[in-house]
Amino acid sequence: MLEWYLLTLTDYAIAAAGIGLVMFLTYQLLPRLGVKREAATGYALIMPWLLGFLIWTAYPILASLYYSFTDYNIFQAPKWIGLDNYVRILTRDPNFWPSLKLTLLYGILSLPIGLAGALGVAMLLARDVRGTGVWRTLYYLPAVLPAVAVILLWQWLLGTNGLFNVVFSPIYSLLGMARPSWFTDERFVLPGLVIMSLWGVFGSNAVILLAGLKNIPIHLYEAVDIDGGGAWTKFRHVTLPMVSPTLFYTLILGIIAAVKTFEPGLFIKLNPRTSGTFLQVLIYGNAFAGGNSKMGYASAMSWIMLVIILALTLLTFRTSAAWVYYEGERR
Amino acid sequence: MAVATREQPRILLASTQTQHRIGQIITYLLLLLGAAVILIPLYWMISTSLKAETKLFVLPPQVIPDPIVWRNYIDVWTIQPFTGYFINTIFVTALAMSGEIISCALVAYGFARFRFPGRDVLFILVLATMMLPNIITMIPAFLIWRSLGRIDTFSPLTVGALFAWGPSFIFLLRQFFLTIPREIEEAAIIDGANVIDIFWKIMLPLVKPALLAIAVLSFNGNWNNFMGPLIYLNTPGKYPVILGLYAFAGSLSKEAPKWHYMMAMTVIMSLPILLLYFRAQKYFIEGLTVGGVKG
Repeated sequence: MLEWYLLTLTDYAIAAAGIGLVMFLTYQLLPRLGVKREAATGYALIMPWLLGFLIWTAYPILASLYYSFTDYNIFQAPKWIGLDNYVRILTRDPNFWPSLKLTLLYGILSLPIGLAGALGVAMLLARDVRGTGVWRTLYYLPAVLPAVAVILLWQWLLGTNGLFNVVFSPIYSLLGMARPSWFTDERFVLPGLVIMSLWGVFGSNAVILLAGLKNIPIHLYEAVDIDGGGAWTKFRHVTLPMVSPTLFYTLILGIIAAVKTFEPGLFIKLNPRTSGTFLQVLIYGNAFAGGNSKMGYASAMSWIMLVIILALTLLTFRTSAAWVYYEGERR
Repeated sequence: MAVATREQPRILLASTQTQHRIGQIITYLLLLLGAAVILIPLYWMISTSLKAETKLFVLPPQVIPDPIVWRNYIDVWTIQPFTGYFINTIFVTALAMSGEIISCALVAYGFARFRFPGRDVLFILVLATMMLPNIITMIPAFLIWRSLGRIDTFSPLTVGALFAWGPSFIFLLRQFFLTIPREIEEAAIIDGANVIDIFWKIMLPLVKPALLAIAVLSFNGNWNNFMGPLIYLNTPGKYPVILGLYAFAGSLSKEAPKWHYMMAMTVIMSLPILLLYFRAQKYFIEGLTVGGVKG
C-alpha cells in the first residue's frame, strides 16, 4: 500500500529535481555562450513548460501521427500500413458515422440553446437585481459539481420512472405519448444528453457572459435612450455587439468541449452502431477498453477528431468578422 | 434605468415607474424559475440519498424521505473501500496541484517579465496548446508511461503537473504579473536580491488572488479528473473516489439499481468541492472569467 505512494513520491522528486537542474544549467550556461543575462533568466524560468511541451505535447503529436499510419497493438512493433486506418474508419467502421452524427448533433443542439439561455440569465443578473452575488453563486453551482456526479444525477432523474417523467407526466398525457425512457430509447438519447449538458454548463457560461455585460459602458445605453430607442434597440445595437467577443470565446470553448465529450458516453451505455456514442468514447474503446489496444487505429481516429475540431474552430473564426465586434478595432 | 428617466416630466415618470416595477417582478420570477431548475435536482440528489430502497419508486414521489435512512451513508462507506479512495484522491490532488501551481507561476513570471528571443512565438504556442484536445497526446503519453513501467501507479497522474501542464493557468498568471509595476522589482534588484528571492518573496505574494484562483481551479480539475485514472489505474485499491463510483455504477444490475447508494456517493464526492466553492467562490469566478473578458 505505502510503496505505491512512495514510488510516486520518488518519481515526483526525481522529475522536480531534473527540471530544477535544467533550469539551473540554462541560467548558468547560456550567459557563457553569449546570451544576455535577462534572456537566460527568461529561458530558465519557462523551462518547465518548454520541457513539458517537448515531452508531453510535441513528441506525442508526432508519434500519434506516425501511429495513425500503422497497425500497432502495444505488444508488437508498429507496422506501416499507410492510409488503411483512415480508409477503414471512414468506410467500414459501423460505429464511426453514427457516433460522429451523435457528437455533432449534440454540439449543434446544446451549444446554441445553452448560450442563448446563458445570455438570458446573464442579462437578468446584469439588471439592478438585489443579491447578484447570491444568484450568481446559485447559477454557477452545477458547473462546479464533478461531471460524473451530474451524469449520475441526471441518469437518475431521467430514468423511466424518474422525477423528470413524473413531473412532466401531465404534459406527456396531453401530447398523448408514453413516458420516454430517455437513455434506453434511441429517439430520446440525444434530447436526454442535451438536457443533462444544459444543466451542467449553463451557469459557467452565464457567469462569463455576465462579466462581459458588466464591462459595457452605461453611456451607450443612455445614448439609445436619448435617441428614443427601446429595449430591443438596446439589445440589438448595444448589448449584442458589445458582448459578442465574450460570446465568441464561450462558443469556441463550447465547440471544443462538445466534440471532446467523454464521461456521459461512458456512464450511459449507448449502442455505438445504432444511436452512436461520443467520438472520444469510441477512441478510448479502441485504445484501452476490453483488452483492445488498437493504438494505430485509435490514433487515426483521434486525428480525424482533431481535424473536425480545427475545421469547426476555423469556420467560427471565419464567420466571426461578420458578427464579433471589437471595440478597439475601428478607431 | 433611473438615470434615463431623470429628465422626463412627472406624468411620464409615474408610468415608467410602473413599467419598471413590472419589469422587476418579471426579472425576479424568471430568476426564481432558474433557481428552481438548479435546486430541485440537487435537492433530489440529497433526498434520494436518504431514502430506503423500497421507497425509491413510490408514487407520488416522496419529497421528504420517510423514513430518513442515514445508514445509507455508512453503508456506501463500507461497501466500497471509500476511505482508501479518499486518501488516493487527496494524495493525487495534492501532488498535482502543488506541482502545477509552482511550475505555472515560474513560467508565467518568465513570460511576463523577461525579454528573450522567441518569447512571443513561444507564448502563442502556450495559447495554442490550450485548444489542443488532450486525446491526441493521450495514446503516446500512455506509451511513454508504459515504457517507464508506470502503468497502474499514481505517477502519470501527478508527475506531469510539474511541467506546467495548465496553459490557461500560465495565461492567467501572466496577466496578473503584467499588472505589477516594474519599480518594485527594480528596487529589490538594487538591494541585491536574486531572481528566486524576487519571485518567491515579492512577486508571488503580490499575485496571491490569482494563485488562489488557480489553486481552486486546479483542485477542481484534479479532484474531478476521470479519464486519467480510468486509463492508468487497474487495481481497485488505487482508485480515486471518482473511479470507485464508476466501478460501483457498473457493478449494479439493470433491474434494481441502488440509486439511494449512488446518490449518497455522489453527495460525498461533491461535498469537498461544494464546501470549497462556498468558501472561495470569488476565486472560482475570477479564474473563469479572466479568459473571456480580459483576454
